[in-house]
Amino acid sequence: MNEQDRRRRRALIAFQIFIYGALLAMFLIQLQMLMVKDW
Amino acid sequence: MVSLTLDAHQDESRRAQREADRWLIAGTILMGTLVLGPVGLPVFCRGVYLLRRAQQVGLSVRPMMVTLIGYVVILDAAINSIGWGLDVFANHALITRTIFTAWGNLMDGGYFWHYNELWIGGAGAPGEKAWIIVCIVVVFPMRIAAAIGLLQMKRWGHQWTIVTCWFGVISWMGYILNMTMYADVRYAGVALPVIGWWLYNIFYITPFLAIPYLHTVNREIFSD
Repeated sequence: MNEQDRRRRRALIAFQIFIYGALLAMFLIQLQMLMVKDW
Repeated sequence: MVSLTLDAHQDESRRAQREADRWLIAGTILMGTLVLGPVGLPVFCRGVYLLRRAQQVGLSVRPMMVTLIGYVVILDAAINSIGWGLDVFANHALITRTIFTAWGNLMDGGYFWHYNELWIGGAGAPGEKAWIIVCIVVVFPMRIAAAIGLLQMKRWGHQWTIVTCWFGVISWMGYILNMTMYADVRYAGVALPVIGWWLYNIFYITPFLAIPYLHTVNREIFSD
């Protein structure tokens, strides 16, 4: 694996962490809103 | 297989690929109609089985990962297009008014409260209609076209599947950010708030799952 492939793989891992983190954050925000005030 | 000439090997590979694709296409079309999903799944699985068997006996067929990504992208776009197409174009049909508002009442008030009260009809949640229209008119048709090119192992198919997977990132993030901004209003009074919606919708994350593979696969396997 050359340097470019290594960098690409690192960037893709960072992207995955970011995108699933963002989704999880939205879910947790909604959950927190639900717990604070029962709808 | 060892005794085959190169030409015979190619002919046999093409035949096996076509046979598997017939089952895969029929299964995807059936599942893409939404209601015939349970019928389509076994048909699709037979296609996967035939493709796997062809691979195991050494024939040159399309890689399994490309096959699954291509068909799942088509299926995802088709299922969403049908549902949201009904919401835009048939929002006063009895079936839409019954199923959509029942589903909305269960887990997503965006499809229950003020349903059919906008001038355009259908879902009345803030921003919802804009996401629906941009997805069924721009994102999904482009994703289906790109996935067909990917399944044909064309270079443009690979490139445009990457492009439209990034469309998926934008549309998913935009959609979820939008609904989170007024989640307390949108989920108010539904039977299964938050958890129900996420359990149902988490399966639509395929655009993100395909991105690492598409960016790291050897692009020389796709032809110009």
